Amino acid sequence: MTLTVNGEPKVIAAVTTVGNLLDHFGVSHQTVAVMVDGVIIAREHVGNTLLREGASIEIIRFVGGG
Amino acid sequence: MDCSPVISDKERVRRLVSLPGVKPERVARLRDTTVAIVGVGGIGQAAAQHLVAQGVGRIILIDPDRVEAHNLSRQILLTPPMVGQFKVDAAAERLWELSPTVQIEQRRDQLDEANVDALLQEAAIVLDGVDLGQPREVLNRYAMRSGKPVFFAGATGYEAQVFGVHGGQPCLTCLFGSVADVEDDCAATGVLGPVVGMAGLVQAQEVLKWVLQVGQSLVGRLWQWDGFSGSTRIIAIPSRTDCPVCSPAHPQ
Repeated sequence: MTLTVNGEPKVIAAVTTVGNLLDHFGVSHQTVAVMVDGVIIAREHVGNTLLREGASIEIIRFVGGG
Repeated sequence: MDCSPVISDKERVRRLVSLPGVKPERVARLRDTTVAIVGVGGIGQAAAQHLVAQGVGRIILIDPDRVEAHNLSRQILLTPPMVGQFKVDAAAERLWELSPTVQIEQRRDQLDEANVDALLQEAAIVLDGVDLGQPREVLNRYAMRSGKPVFFAGATGYEAQVFGVHGGQPCLTCLFGSVADVEDDCAATGVLGPVVGMAGLVQAQEVLKWVLQVGQSLVGRLWQWDGFSGSTRIIAIPSRTDCPVCSPAHPQ
């Protein structure tokens, strides 16, 4: 599947959901915000939100320290 | 005996008035502006240093912690003899060296739901420099209640981010959901000192832009810095109709 992830084009095989994509990058589901085509995906829906060919994804890690 | 001349307010703002879009009457307001800094660590100290140098008149410093030796690697107002002092006192001492006329209020408190309204009552703008999720959520709710601009900031590892909230739509919860239990402390992840400072400098920049009414604010937009690759991004954040904090459909 061809996706734009954080502004960069990527071809990623064997991902169907946003949750799969986070797992692919080894990103914790608890500490990130995910936007798909400009819409924020609620944490409880990350696992069941399907990706579509050509989607633009932003994965934003919460940076906590002060 | 201190023989150094006292710099006038006029000197502090001399280079501001020739900036494009800056009006003299807005510059004059800097001296009357109160900024609260919640969490006086690496981010808060960097922000405070620049705000005081630029002529912001009053700073409220809020932090319950004492200076530890490892803080000196990135908390740039601190000096070795300050280890053991309250951070708010140590930072205030250095800020008065920078500007003997600045008003500083030191509060040795941990911000929480019970004290937030009183602590921030006199602030026009609030900066977040805390290292815990819980007080950030308190600040986010306060931003909704008060209508005051709050600039959130974080830095760990090689990464820094700043995100402004003003009245919600979007707010911090729109973006990240609950952050109360998120642990992202530089004690565990490590941190590159200057990355922390960058977050504070961007916060200071946003405060000055806000008061001077120039430029495009980071309210509703996330500034992200990745020091590892040396790249920066700004992402417009949409609001969420199901946000439990700021959505009109979900009143607090």
